[in-house]
Amino acid sequence: MSEGGSRERKLIRAPGELVSKLNEAAHREGKTLYSYVSEVFEQAVRAYEMKRSLKEIIDGYEVLEVHREAGTVFTPRDVMDYLVGKVSNENDETLERLWYQTGRWYGIYLRERFDDSVEALVRLLREGRWDLNDVTLNRNKETLEFRCVSPFLSQERTLLTQKFMEGAMNSLGYKTQNHESFKGIIRIKFSP
Amino acid sequence: MAARLDLADRISEIASRRGTLFDYLNDILDQAIRAESLGLTLNEVLDDRWLIKTARDAGFTFVPEKIVNDLIENAYEKLGKRKMTSLWYETGQWYGRYYEDLGRLEASVRRFFWDVSEFKMSREDGNISLICLSSKFSETHTELFSKFLEGAFDALGYGLAESDVSKGIISLRFVKSKGE
Repeated sequence: MSEGGSRERKLIRAPGELVSKLNEAAHREGKTLYSYVSEVFEQAVRAYEMKRSLKEIIDGYEVLEVHREAGTVFTPRDVMDYLVGKVSNENDETLERLWYQTGRWYGIYLRERFDDSVEALVRLLREGRWDLNDVTLNRNKETLEFRCVSPFLSQERTLLTQKFMEGAMNSLGYKTQNHESFKGIIRIKFSP
Repeated sequence: MAARLDLADRISEIASRRGTLFDYLNDILDQAIRAESLGLTLNEVLDDRWLIKTARDAGFTFVPEKIVNDLIENAYEKLGKRKMTSLWYETGQWYGRYYEDLGRLEASVRRFFWDVSEFKMSREDGNISLICLSSKFSETHTELFSKFLEGAFDALGYGLAESDVSKGIISLRFVKSKGE
């Protein structure tokens, strides 16, 4: 530990290669390595206080970028549910087709942007942007099975979210084997 | 490598709950490099995380823009102008009450309504002039969003004095309601 400036400092051991990269990053931002590292630590503590790791937060950011690229907008949930409820019609599958097509677009985008596009889709669903509280994916050689749960989703929006997932997975090259959705619960099985 | 003592100690304390200090340090420094490669600082990334949390807390959900627009047009045709404008007005009132403050409302519009390209509010003698522009809004969507804003301002104690709304352009003037 050494004294410097108005605050006390502590020396920390870190791999040389990483320190070089940090030095370059600090230089690009016009900061000293000391202030850059201190800022990084501040954010790590902030992330910890949010009960997340920095990795989870950056993963989430990348997913949010997908939404931005896709032209997704924030909409009041109650209005959305109301409109979907009023517009949905058993004899008219326009909305379902629209969500399916949107899912297909996302699938293509995820495939281009992420190495593991299925995992990216799970993150997209899980990060809460779709009001899903619990998203699990069981992968084995023959099938991939999604299970999503949300107390917030109306019956109509559950079905539309299922259509979105099918669209995304179908465009990633997976076929729908079977699916079932009840209000707030979606189960879908896909095969490669 | 040197770091602020208080922060370094806090990091050591967190690391002790997760594994070794060395591994934890590697991880967070790696993530800083990763954020930098995305053209961001960690601070910006974390602020964004906060944005999502506050959006969820305020009852917003993510919906693809095309779907929102289709839904609005379709519902407007089915439910009629009166029902739709009143739905938006009431939703605006809810948000006005939720944010309780003009500054917070303004910040939330800027933060959450990505399809709004310009949102300017100017205050003069207790009156408020507002300009809201969006190249993405249809005529119907513009009309409904102006009702949303009217509702929000009403809940904050401002009545509509002038309104000029056309596709993608909302210009409103509000006056402080009597008794507020």
